Order: sequence, then structure tokens, then C-alpha cells
Amino acid sequence: MPENSDNKIVFISGASRGIGAAIAVNLAAAGYDIWLNYRSSADHAQAVKAEIEACGRSCTLLPFDVTDEQAATEMLEPLLIQNVPFAVVHNAGITRDTLLPMMQRAEWDAVIDVHLNSFYILGRIFSRYMLSRRKGRIITIASLSGEIGQAGQVNYSAAKAGLIGASKALARELGKRNILVNAVSPGLIETEMITDLPLDKMLPLIPLGRVGTKKEVAGVVRFLLSEDASYITGQVISVNGGMHM
Amino acid sequence: MEKIKQQLKEILVVDLKIQGVAIEDIDDAGQLFGEGLGLDSLDAVELAFLIEKRFGVTIADMEEGKAVFESINALAQFIEKQQIE
Repeated sequence: MPENSDNKIVFISGASRGIGAAIAVNLAAAGYDIWLNYRSSADHAQAVKAEIEACGRSCTLLPFDVTDEQAATEMLEPLLIQNVPFAVVHNAGITRDTLLPMMQRAEWDAVIDVHLNSFYILGRIFSRYMLSRRKGRIITIASLSGEIGQAGQVNYSAAKAGLIGASKALARELGKRNILVNAVSPGLIETEMITDLPLDKMLPLIPLGRVGTKKEVAGVVRFLLSEDASYITGQVISVNGGMHM
Repeated sequence: MEKIKQQLKEILVVDLKIQGVAIEDIDDAGQLFGEGLGLDSLDAVELAFLIEKRFGVTIADMEEGKAVFESINALAQFIEKQQIE
């Protein structure tokens, strides 16, 4: 018996690779159908779709740039008239790491756009339809950088901290409609985002002594979508091996 | 106009699920928010969204929309005027 027995749909942004792809496959295994957004990695998206279908669930590929409000609207509105997802997982993210004195305006803007302005675009479109359903979940994927700040990531830290604030405010707005909004905040997770980091210097800072797996993040998202999490909203759930407490 | 009013009342009762109110109980001139039917700001958002979908009429500015949301009469007049334009 799958956790989700009434054909619930979950939309996931930036889900062709990394943590987003892991969340998509994990949720499909739990019985959710997936609306999978990606921007450019079509081959990767197809591979994730195949994994989802192998779980016996459906996967609708939605290729659009989350910073493009018109593209998002044109792709999502026709689908939303037919079906409203139970949950939205806003995961899309990029990094443009550099010290602020050297940072180009474009590097600042790109990171704020992909994480935060996209949350305005997606959150607005989906919440309008979710309101009348009187149930739903919205998860933002934040980051330890957004909780404690990270040198070289002033843009990324600002965007992720912004997502945390936006999630809490939206949790207050939508609580009365039984729409729960939470942030999941990963620490160091084995993705291509951390391949250039000096891990030998960072591992001693993690009480569990290792980086986390994508599956360990996906599992928390899965829990937050489950019936067991029905009294949790406006929270930041950190998945960081104890790196920050 | 009467048809619009009837549709609006259906939205309130069926879609917004206002507790303990039947369609025939809703007074055309009565206040929708506060002391009247007791709608809140989220109801206003939902109502604006449903009006957009069902009538093709956009209430873009919620501040400006305040007068429009005064009563069923005010809403129906607004919708009819917008549809003609």
C-alpha cells in the first residue's frame, strides 16, 4: 500500500538533476505522480522520468525557465485547469560563488532570480489554485548557507534566507486553508554543487563526520508531504549532519 | 444581472464553503466582509480568483476592489460593467 493512495500530484522545480531528481524519484516510490520542471537538461529529465515510470507513477515533463513568468504561466495554467497538485516543491537553484567585492551584478541577479523571484512566480500561480482545495503542501529547498551565511555565497545565502522568510510568511497566510508551508534546509549533500569545496577542511565541522546523501534530503520532503506531518507548518527542517544546531 | 448574482452566491456557498449559510439566505445588499457574511482576506483572494475564472473579469488591485466587494449587488454591477467593456 503506497503512502499516497489517492493519486496525488507533486510539482517539483529543477528536478532533472541533484536533490530535485532524488526528491522526484523518492516521491514517485511513495505513490505520487510527478510534474517535473527543468530548464535545459532534457536528457537528465528523460532519465528521471523513466525512473518515475518504473515506480508505476506518471511523470509530466515541464521544461521552462522558472525565472520566466510568462513561460511558467503558459505551461502551467492549462494543466492547472484540469488538475491541481497536492504539493509544490521549489527546489530549482544555481550557484555563482564569488566574494562580494568581486561579484558581478549579473551573478547576484541570476541567483536571486532562480531561487527567490521564481518563488514569487510559482508560489503565486500554484497557491491561487490550491486555496480552494483546502489542503496542500508547499516545500522550499533552502540551505544551511541561508541559515548561517557562507563566505563566497552572499548572493546564495541571501536568496536562501529569503526563501526561509517567504516560506514562514506564506505559512501564516495559508494556514487557515490547511496549506502547510515548510523549508527543508540541506547542509553539505553529495551533489555536483559541492565538488569544488575543500571537503577535508569541512568534514571535521560535521558531527556525523560525512556529507549527506540526496536520499536523506528527499526522505524529509517525503515526510513533510505525509499525513504524519499534518501539524507542521512554517518550520525550517535542517538536514545537515549537525553542522549547525 | 440576476443570473450573475445567483452565480456569485453559488461561489460563496459551494466554493468558499461559508459555514451555515444557504444560497437563499444571502442578502443582495448585505455586507460580505466583517459583520455581514464574515468573509476574510483569504476569501477575498479566492473570490477574486474565481470571478476571474468564471466571468473573465480581473480585479487586479485588492485596495481598489474593496468597494467592489461591498455586497453581491456591487459585485454583480462591477462584473456586468466589465463584461460590456
